[in-house]
Amino acid sequence: MSTRTSEDERKQIVSMVRDFVRREVEPIAQTYDNEDIYPHELIPKMRDLGLFGITIPVEYGGMELDFTTFAMIFEEISKGWMSLSGIIGTHHVLSHIVSTYGTEEQKQRILPRMASGELRGGLALTEPEAGSDAQNISTVAKKEGEEYLINGRKMFISNGENGNVFALMAKTDPQAAPAHKGISCFIFEKPVEGFSVGQHIDKLGYRGIDTCELIFDDCRVGSENLVGGEEGKGFHHVMAGLETGRINVAARAVGVAQAAFDAAIEYSQRRKTFGRNISDHQAIQIKLADMASKIHAARLMVFDAAEKKDSGERNDLETAMAKLFASEMCGEVAMEAMRIHGGVGYTKALPIERYYRDAPLMIIGEGTNEIMKLLIAKRLLQQHAV
Amino acid sequence: MSINIIVCAKQVMDPETPSSAFSVDSDIKQVTPVQGIPPVVNGFCENAVEAALQIREAAGGGTVTVLSVGNEFVMDVMKKPLSMGADSMILIQDQLCENLDALGTVNVLSAAITRAGEFDLILCGQQASDWDNAHVPLGLSETLGIPCLTEAKNIEIGDDSVTVNSSRTDGYEVFEANLPALITVNNEIGEPRYPTLRGIMQASRKTPEILSLSDLGLSEDQMAPAMALSDLYIPVSEAQCEIIEGEDDADSGRLLALKLREAKII
Repeated sequence: MSTRTSEDERKQIVSMVRDFVRREVEPIAQTYDNEDIYPHELIPKMRDLGLFGITIPVEYGGMELDFTTFAMIFEEISKGWMSLSGIIGTHHVLSHIVSTYGTEEQKQRILPRMASGELRGGLALTEPEAGSDAQNISTVAKKEGEEYLINGRKMFISNGENGNVFALMAKTDPQAAPAHKGISCFIFEKPVEGFSVGQHIDKLGYRGIDTCELIFDDCRVGSENLVGGEEGKGFHHVMAGLETGRINVAARAVGVAQAAFDAAIEYSQRRKTFGRNISDHQAIQIKLADMASKIHAARLMVFDAAEKKDSGERNDLETAMAKLFASEMCGEVAMEAMRIHGGVGYTKALPIERYYRDAPLMIIGEGTNEIMKLLIAKRLLQQHAV
Repeated sequence: MSINIIVCAKQVMDPETPSSAFSVDSDIKQVTPVQGIPPVVNGFCENAVEAALQIREAAGGGTVTVLSVGNEFVMDVMKKPLSMGADSMILIQDQLCENLDALGTVNVLSAAITRAGEFDLILCGQQASDWDNAHVPLGLSETLGIPCLTEAKNIEIGDDSVTVNSSRTDGYEVFEANLPALITVNNEIGEPRYPTLRGIMQASRKTPEILSLSDLGLSEDQMAPAMALSDLYIPVSEAQCEIIEGEDDADSGRLLALKLREAKII
């Protein structure tokens, strides 16, 4: 639970991130995205700015900002280049897991170096045969003395190559019923014997950021790396972590949609058809009104979910709703921005096509929207049980 | 070595305000504030803050105090120099400061600097992006009776002196002056650093000292303008295009050169 960040601080933080994005990110975004180049040179700057420690507690070297400010930062970065937010996305899921559920020794060992950006985190959850059905993972961690022997494969792991600390979900009790009670969460740092990074995955959008396969082949991890020192709690840990992930993904969607809208409303006042700016045509005005209204609604939902998270209240319903609504909205707004731009929006000359390619990441990532709907419905039926 | 620096910084309208949103009220001869676009710290003043921080770091100690005059400060904007690393801030905020001319601003700044105590260096932005006058630093150095070195692209502090490389259109000139001195800087001094998250959070615990003119012992009479603004309007710009056609490319070039000479462009 974070202390509330003041309005003055928020405004300054947003202004700083906006300035950073305008000066350092926007000039490279299109080229790096097209050519799938990792922005190595931006990492030291992001470290200096403090972007690796946004929500990490002050006592462990972080900034302990609240989740509303966290969302604002992700929105601003995503307006410039959504991919860049991926570097600090699962990083903060991981730091949240450690700061909430880790032992004191784990917090002191991991968090200060995560806050400084010396350690950059990733979340090793998804597998080739288990994404939405996270309980069905087949990676196994078998206890041998003071170590765990890990075997399995993880898939689509952000920061897999450039990250150096991971939260790994593995079954310590493959026979447990229900299955999630057999899942444990481990934090481990590279390099570890028996661990390797497999193929680098080429993607439609979210380019420039490494998304990789991780391979565990008789990988040995010390028992001091078991989060909280307790087996069977991993599913709970990662679900709580994913709430922060869903806030950041929803905020990314708002950022991408806002960038698409900003481009569209500007273009509509320059482009002429039938002797008038296209913004004079009601067909375009209706699109602009719909786009802006949806963005506004999504942003408020993100802030609402973030406030719930800060308050310490249960927030899985609000974060799932925000992630669902914002990501679907982003897909629609990106498409509408492309329609307003017409042919030029379909070309690589403008970032509109990038927004359109990036939008599905938010629909699929951090739990598909189909899973979000199941989660929402389950909670609603619990709340309204007759 | 320890050095105490005062940086004069001005809150101005965001120069990146779209021209379509910019308007003036000619009746009251004022620029109309644009709703929804917050002001900023003048760009060259941010360069001055950056220069001050670099000098303090090189000296290994000292203070950077930011000083500003205005009638209505936006605090999250004005705190930026503190977030960048300045130690303290003094804001002279008074309704009587709404339309100060350069002389009035100099009077207020010099009174505030005298009140603040001893200093080694005053740094100012070369000019402010609102009026582009570049009057205040010169008047301030004159009033305080200290040397003024302008358009610094590099500043080296000696034992009791300062050496400055001043930008010129065809290179730079090197000047040396005794301390205390006033120096104006522009963007050639280097990009202002970002305020970091840590800097912003630390600055939020610093409270600027806010003073009125009466706190400085200044009266309304001393704010009377020495300069009158006779008119304020947005100039009308017209673009005219003339196609020059000759018998061939060489002839077109010759005709173009004649036109340009007629227009006294070449």
